[in-house]
Amino acid sequence: MACTVAANVHATSLRRVTEAVGRRFVAGVEDFGYGAALLVESLVWIVLGRWLNQRVRLHAIVEEMMSIGVRAIPVVAVLAFANGAMMAMQGIYTLREFGAESRVVAGIAMSVVREFGVLIAGIVVAARSGSAIAARIGTMQISQEIDALRVMGISPVRYLVAPILVAMLIMMPLLTVLSNSLAILGGGAFSVMELHISPDTYLERALAALAIQDLVQSLVKSLVFGVLVTLVATSNGFSAAGGAEGLGRATTRSVVLSISAIVVADMIFTFFLSR
Amino acid sequence: MSACVESAVGPVIEVEDLVACYGNQRILDRVSLTVRQGEIMVIMGGSGSGKSTLLRYLLGLRRPDSGAVRIFGKDIARLSSAEWRELRKKMGVSFQGGALFSSMTVGDNVCMPLREHTRLDEKTIRIMSRMKLEVVNLAGFEHLMPAQLSGGMIKRAALARAIVMDPSVLFFDEPSAGLDPVVAADLDRLILRIRDALRVSIVVVTHELESAFAIADRIALLDHGRILMVGSVDEVQRSDNQRVRNLLTRTSEEQVVDVEEYLCRLTEGVE
Amino acid sequence: MAFPVEDKHGFSVITLKGEVDLKNSPDARKVILNNLKKRRHVLVDLSGVEYIDSSGVASLVEGLQYARSNDLGFSLVGVSEAAMNVLRLARLDQVFRIYASLEDGLHGGG
Repeated sequence: MACTVAANVHATSLRRVTEAVGRRFVAGVEDFGYGAALLVESLVWIVLGRWLNQRVRLHAIVEEMMSIGVRAIPVVAVLAFANGAMMAMQGIYTLREFGAESRVVAGIAMSVVREFGVLIAGIVVAARSGSAIAARIGTMQISQEIDALRVMGISPVRYLVAPILVAMLIMMPLLTVLSNSLAILGGGAFSVMELHISPDTYLERALAALAIQDLVQSLVKSLVFGVLVTLVATSNGFSAAGGAEGLGRATTRSVVLSISAIVVADMIFTFFLSR
Repeated sequence: MSACVESAVGPVIEVEDLVACYGNQRILDRVSLTVRQGEIMVIMGGSGSGKSTLLRYLLGLRRPDSGAVRIFGKDIARLSSAEWRELRKKMGVSFQGGALFSSMTVGDNVCMPLREHTRLDEKTIRIMSRMKLEVVNLAGFEHLMPAQLSGGMIKRAALARAIVMDPSVLFFDEPSAGLDPVVAADLDRLILRIRDALRVSIVVVTHELESAFAIADRIALLDHGRILMVGSVDEVQRSDNQRVRNLLTRTSEEQVVDVEEYLCRLTEGVE
Repeated sequence: MAFPVEDKHGFSVITLKGEVDLKNSPDARKVILNNLKKRRHVLVDLSGVEYIDSSGVASLVEGLQYARSNDLGFSLVGVSEAAMNVLRLARLDQVFRIYASLEDGLHGGG
């Protein structure tokens, strides 16, 4: 008797867990579908808006480019430079034990361009704009400004999401190039001192280690990261509800999810591309 | 041009057997309602009566699962997005909190529908928006940001934006909520003035009795998701239906307790 | 729709007809401003107007403003009740010079 009760309790709790997991999964799939729909709709507006007399405003795009890209330059620059320098330090000290410290320059160049340059740019943009975008759209949602757009016959996706997407697609590659260059520069600053080579030699060795595919790979990644941040941030903004607390939750969720999305996407990229 | 021809025939808005559910809860239960050309229809009910939900359907922000909403004779569930956009140009909405775009000046807020939907000369657009600001007594405030306005001014700016395209139907969500009585009465008078001058049909959703009686041609009383009655101010005030009386005198109804059901509500799912 | 212009006693008489709304108010605006730019006094005949929206009224306002700053006459004639309501809403009935008939306008205008 007692045994069956215990088994029953066990079965119900198991059922609850599976149900919860199932619900989460369905919600995840829904989120993914919503993001995909946002992407498609934005692209439609960007391409067809002109003909439908519902154009995506250049003014709005420029504004987004400023806040997403231009104002992110100092942070990206500092992080990339420091990161490059740290890689040089770690690389030189570790490889010295194997007597392979001269290979450190090639190592810095390759890992920066293939991996860390774009990752730094992506994480900075996710942290800065992922929160800002979610907060802005979330505020508009809660104060019914999104409803106001819709009843005016203005698509919120065209008006709010499309300019962000365009700005991301332009600014992410540029920030990535900046990030790559400064990380290599940062690595150079330390290597030149520690390895007693001239800056020219450093640059020569760094460039020699790079193939054009590495740069292409980094730029493609930057575009994907831009799309991910846009979709995660805007969809979290649109789904904000429940006053100031809900807004805070949406903003936090947006930053956490966009950084996670970037890192996971990067891992998948690396898995397939470095084989 | 076509706007007038269409709206001269038949009602502006028809709601037929509309049912709305959130989860398992029925918010609206077979609601039917007609808004006639040129009238002020006040949808009145307490909180939880479903009036805000009904408004979302009337504005086309939700699509009906069951039942139909027709605006100017067109079933909103069957409109293409281009048809929707045309319809939207004839609808003006003043939201409860104003819903002014906080990143733009008052003037730009009012100009926005014109800039998005018309190809008028910028000068014409500016003059039109200033004319509407004159109507709502906000002349000279166009350079302020919404955050710099008081509650009553925000409502009036939102109204200016709602009428800038000369809509055929105008919606108000709780126009007097959060305003002191004097400002609220001003707003009521403004609503009447606009109706007379622009010959729009107006739908007002509110829980304020005074405001409803002051402006309504007809009142629809909504209670627990059902239409209790629709009638003129006089008819509503003279109604001897007990629930209508309760709503008007704001006494909450003593509900007969069904022991079985009540106990079930309290204990359901509790182990 | 083109709006006819007639030359009467030194006035350009512009006749607006039917519905003046978003679709044709830019035309009305152009006709009004073009005549004023030719330094002519303008009378706008509104007696045939069934409906005028605020874009139409805005065009009239722009005309009036141009006329005043260039010392030209600009008056409205035969304003229908519907048009008057729209003007009154923004207190523009006190701003425009309004005549009951074309005759009055031709004698008193300018």
